[in-house]
Amino acid sequence: MAVGVRQRWERATMLAPGLLALAGVTLFPGIYLLYMSVMGWTAFSPVVRFAGVDNFRTLLRSASFWEAAGTTLLFVTLSTGLSLLLGLALALALNEDLRGRGAMRTLLTLPLIVPPVVAGFGWKFLLSSDVGVIGAFLLPLAGIRVAPMGDPQLAMASVVLADIWSKTSFMFLITLAGLQAIPPFLYEAARIDGAGFWAQLRLITLPLLKGVLIIAVILRVLDAINTFDVIFVMTQGGPGTATATFSILGWKIGFTYFDLGQAAALAVLMMVGAVFATNVLIRRTRLAG
Amino acid sequence: MASEKPEARETERVQRATAEAGNSKVTRRTFLKVSAGAAGALALSGVPRIAFAQRRKSVRIIAFAQGFAWPELFGSKGTEKTDALRGLEKEVGADIAIEWGDESAVRQKVLADLISRTGRYDVILLGSDGAVQTYGFGGLLEPLDRWMTRSPSPYVSLKDVYPKYLDANRIEGVLYGLPYYSFGPGVMYRRDIFRKYGLTPPRTTDQFESILKTLKENFKKEKIDMFPVTMRGAPGEEPSLDLLGFVYAYAGYAAWFEGGPTTAEAIRRKKAKPIFTGDFRKGFTAFVETLKNYGSPAASTHTWVDMLTLWEQGKAAVMIPSAINAYPARLGSKIEAVRKESRLASSPVGPSGKRIQSFWTFSLGLNRFSKKKEEAWHVLAYLTGKKAMEEFSSRTKFPWVTMKSVLYTKPLIDTWGREELAVWEDAIVQSDPYYFPYFPELNEFMDKIGTAASRAIAGAKVADVLNDLQTWGYERMYRGGYYR
Repeated sequence: MAVGVRQRWERATMLAPGLLALAGVTLFPGIYLLYMSVMGWTAFSPVVRFAGVDNFRTLLRSASFWEAAGTTLLFVTLSTGLSLLLGLALALALNEDLRGRGAMRTLLTLPLIVPPVVAGFGWKFLLSSDVGVIGAFLLPLAGIRVAPMGDPQLAMASVVLADIWSKTSFMFLITLAGLQAIPPFLYEAARIDGAGFWAQLRLITLPLLKGVLIIAVILRVLDAINTFDVIFVMTQGGPGTATATFSILGWKIGFTYFDLGQAAALAVLMMVGAVFATNVLIRRTRLAG
Repeated sequence: MASEKPEARETERVQRATAEAGNSKVTRRTFLKVSAGAAGALALSGVPRIAFAQRRKSVRIIAFAQGFAWPELFGSKGTEKTDALRGLEKEVGADIAIEWGDESAVRQKVLADLISRTGRYDVILLGSDGAVQTYGFGGLLEPLDRWMTRSPSPYVSLKDVYPKYLDANRIEGVLYGLPYYSFGPGVMYRRDIFRKYGLTPPRTTDQFESILKTLKENFKKEKIDMFPVTMRGAPGEEPSLDLLGFVYAYAGYAAWFEGGPTTAEAIRRKKAKPIFTGDFRKGFTAFVETLKNYGSPAASTHTWVDMLTLWEQGKAAVMIPSAINAYPARLGSKIEAVRKESRLASSPVGPSGKRIQSFWTFSLGLNRFSKKKEEAWHVLAYLTGKKAMEEFSSRTKFPWVTMKSVLYTKPLIDTWGREELAVWEDAIVQSDPYYFPYFPELNEFMDKIGTAASRAIAGAKVADVLNDLQTWGYERMYRGGYYR
């Protein structure tokens, strides 16, 4: 009994530095964020005062919050859905024994090492209807005269396109790893039984890949909710508020309106939303499993 | 005597080794003795005194425009320690360190420092389009008038600075910032294109519209890949600086609140409600329609960078009212006509008889929470003083200087000619820095107004956009306690 207590103490002592570091980098900022969200903390008032739920109330009553909620939902759905489909398709293609497969895999992972800010700038200039290769040259050559950044719908499509370009590599890599873990004899057996590509995909690949795909989707959804850089450099949330997601709104409230309390309240709501979305995904998977 | 048996010899050897090891071990007492001795010797040697004396004060500056601002101090890369910097450090009695960054990153760092009252930065970047107002009202900036009298600096003389540039940095009479490079409104036009179509620079907004119409028709007829005009319409505060200039010229006053109050105190006293669906509307509509009809189709996301790019590539015939954005293109464009045929004219007059405005100062201020205010004040005085302005104008050749005595100097006269400098100066002198109200929530309003304009340029109905702005504006002012 005495030995058990001693062992437990030893384990606790060994774990303590790690736990303390973890608490320092995750728990403390979280608690501080909660504290900020209930304070009236602005740059134009010298006093920092307790505001209770005022920041949350103001935020939930504002039109810009609900507008940003809709925009975020649209962006996350489009970006996650399309990058998942594209990543899966590419992984399926490059899981086959093709010539130049290695080189193509390397090429496909390149966007992953391009910082999103750079990707955003790159796409902005490519799509610009004033000076861009695509927007000012290729599209007009094809008889299409549009300003991708100047039209609300096209601006959303442009930022989604840039985000997909930037993040599909991630989905591709995870999916490819998942595909390679599926035993080849299952496909051989299926082929002997006369199963075609779609039957193999539906009955072997997708069921066995489900766990990997769910993890990839969760990570991608969280990443898409927090996307700031690509949108900021391409459209700054515009035209108007057409691409202003929660991240852009939070930045504006904090650093343009100088209201740190309300910005923290938005961050808390985003955190709750992200945890909720993740839980729903996990629960659905468990139920389906 | 050594034992004869091997086992005994081994035992003896081990015992001896153990005893030697025990003797050579540093005991706690020995360690304490040595440490105390070393500390005493160090204290007597005077090393700590030297180290303490060498810990000089350090003044920290934060700004943007690396390599472009104060090149005489920090070199053309912004990271050098020049002789001039060493000289200034000696005069001020403190080390001087500067932190550069992109404009929005710098603004965020300044906010974070001020709002947490840490005093990390002593001399901070401001700007007369919201930061001076918000931080000034919030009591986060050091009033500078007091330092002018308490500790006069040989570097700065307010008498030499254009008064309008100083007014832009005053809140209810108190000076919170000193301007570095700054600008007033104007029309930049392509003289060769105007000449070709028999046009002269517009004097009124009616003439301005007529010119744009002529240009558009001719560009279409001759299939010229140019826009008649470039202005900025990106969401956020940026276009507001120009858009509000249109509002001022059409309404004849800062038409934001009933009766046109321009201070927080006056708005509160009169309980003045927003009038975004009232007098504000004409100027707003004119700005939006000008961009929709004569600008780039992507103008609803254009910033000053896009204005500059279009000008540099010879893709716009007129730039208004922040004509400043054409200057870098005029010096660096690869198109000869852009370099040689770009000309500056006065901003046109609106139906009210007032000119379209665009007015801004890159200002620097003193952090209220700085622990080295005296030294920081002298650094600030240098950074915004005549010597810094002379260095700026001689290196960049831009006429964006804040002092008459520097505007008409050789580098600028040789580059632009006296005539253009006179137009530039007239724009400053004729400006009204209070063409928008000065109140704590200014930044938030600037952002909402600019974003509303971007929405309208992208196709939303002006009436809907202004209704939303009116509803939001009233609610915001009510929440700010102005009507209680």
